[in-house]
Amino acid sequence: MIDLHGYGPRLAEGALITVELALLSLLLAIVLGLVTASAKMSRSRVAHGIGTLYTTIIRGVPDLVLMMLLFFGGQMGVNLITDALYDRFGIDIFININEFVAGVVTIGLIFGAYMGETFRGAFLAVDSGQIEAGRAYGMGPWLVFRRIRFPQMMRHALPGLSNNWMVLLKTTALVSVIGLSDMVRVASEASKATREPFTFMIIVAAIYLLIASVSEWTFARLQKRYSIGYGEVD
Amino acid sequence: MAATPIPLEVHNIKKRFGDTEVLKGLSLSAHKGDVITLIGASGSGKSTFLRCMNLLEQPDEGELLVHGESVRFKQAKHGREPADWKQVVRMRARLSMVFQSFNLWAHMTLLENVIEAPVHVLGKPKKEAVEHARELLARVGLAKHADYYPAQMSGGQQQRGAIARALAMDPEVMLFDEPTSALDPELVGDVLRVMRDLADEGRTMIVVTHEMAFARDVSSQVIYLHQGVVEEAGAPGEVLDNPRSERLRQFLAPKH
Repeated sequence: MIDLHGYGPRLAEGALITVELALLSLLLAIVLGLVTASAKMSRSRVAHGIGTLYTTIIRGVPDLVLMMLLFFGGQMGVNLITDALYDRFGIDIFININEFVAGVVTIGLIFGAYMGETFRGAFLAVDSGQIEAGRAYGMGPWLVFRRIRFPQMMRHALPGLSNNWMVLLKTTALVSVIGLSDMVRVASEASKATREPFTFMIIVAAIYLLIASVSEWTFARLQKRYSIGYGEVD
Repeated sequence: MAATPIPLEVHNIKKRFGDTEVLKGLSLSAHKGDVITLIGASGSGKSTFLRCMNLLEQPDEGELLVHGESVRFKQAKHGREPADWKQVVRMRARLSMVFQSFNLWAHMTLLENVIEAPVHVLGKPKKEAVEHARELLARVGLAKHADYYPAQMSGGQQQRGAIARALAMDPEVMLFDEPTSALDPELVGDVLRVMRDLADEGRTMIVVTHEMAFARDVSSQVIYLHQGVVEEAGAPGEVLDNPRSERLRQFLAPKH
């Protein structure tokens, strides 16, 4: 049996943080991705410009740099605002950026840009006749989106989405640099204290693999569900 | 006795794509039970005209009345557009369109396709919609295909399914956009038979078609369009059997 030197419970907590962080970031990334895709496909030049600026910046700067910029820069920004509030109005508040929230926001922002491209391609792949039929039968834009565009788009988006999710999952390991006790950070502390890095890292690797396998299974089922009617899956 | 409103009237519809004027002031009124066929060569504007009737294309000029209600427009940056989209949704629900490429929703079964708009647009109870849908599917000869997905059916079956979807809305006017042009020749007959039945029961229909036999037998009025203008219009006997213009004579001449 592997001796965890009492780090078992903390590792488990770390794993939970990793999963929570990943899922919440995914949610944010999907929302941002849908918004970005809509902005980039919109006729409005302003919306298109903002969407392009966003994806260009995010995709051009390393994740780690972005994370530190947002976390430390975000804290500086918040401090500036709270200082100004104190100087002008005498309101004394102190806001400490929570590492978990910072992690979710950063990872969500990063992957929102990638999801935006995935969704944009997927939306464009939907046959325009399908949308037109919805409009011709009296559906408004929201109903067309919910009943036709979204379900048909998902079939095209899922392969890219699943790929983004796998990368996102592994990107969560970066949050240890901003002080969040995810399982990588717990494992690296344990490695230093016990001088048994291999034990802890192999466990971390196994947990990541487990999450990844469950994800693959889930995505395969989703793919099947959204491929109904296209004769690709029995 | 109050006069029932005319199901669909359009006046002086004009449409430009860039610098090309494709519809140069077209009018038509479809009274209850009318079957109006629009014929003409490709590029004559007949499909665009039909698509203007339910605002899948926005006419640049002209008036549109559905069930006596005039559609309101406003001037926008990219040209004229409807002032009130809720009104458009309401008017589209009175008109049902059958498309050349069927456009059944691919991710839904045939039955789901037929009940989709009645349930989600008209707010009909699902159970009622399903019962009605099954009757309609039986009518178009697809009772056994309710749980098939569009990709599992032939083109003719899909188009008959699309007609059932259109009927499920209890439309005042049915718009057919070349309903048989994408079909293999041996499948055309089944679809035309269903359309003849609809005409016989007094449905109001506007049909863009190349099927001259259908136009001759079924229509109350035939309109021949050429380059966005009505070249000839009238009862099928006059227009198809005694064409006045040389152009229509050539259009109707048997092709080799």
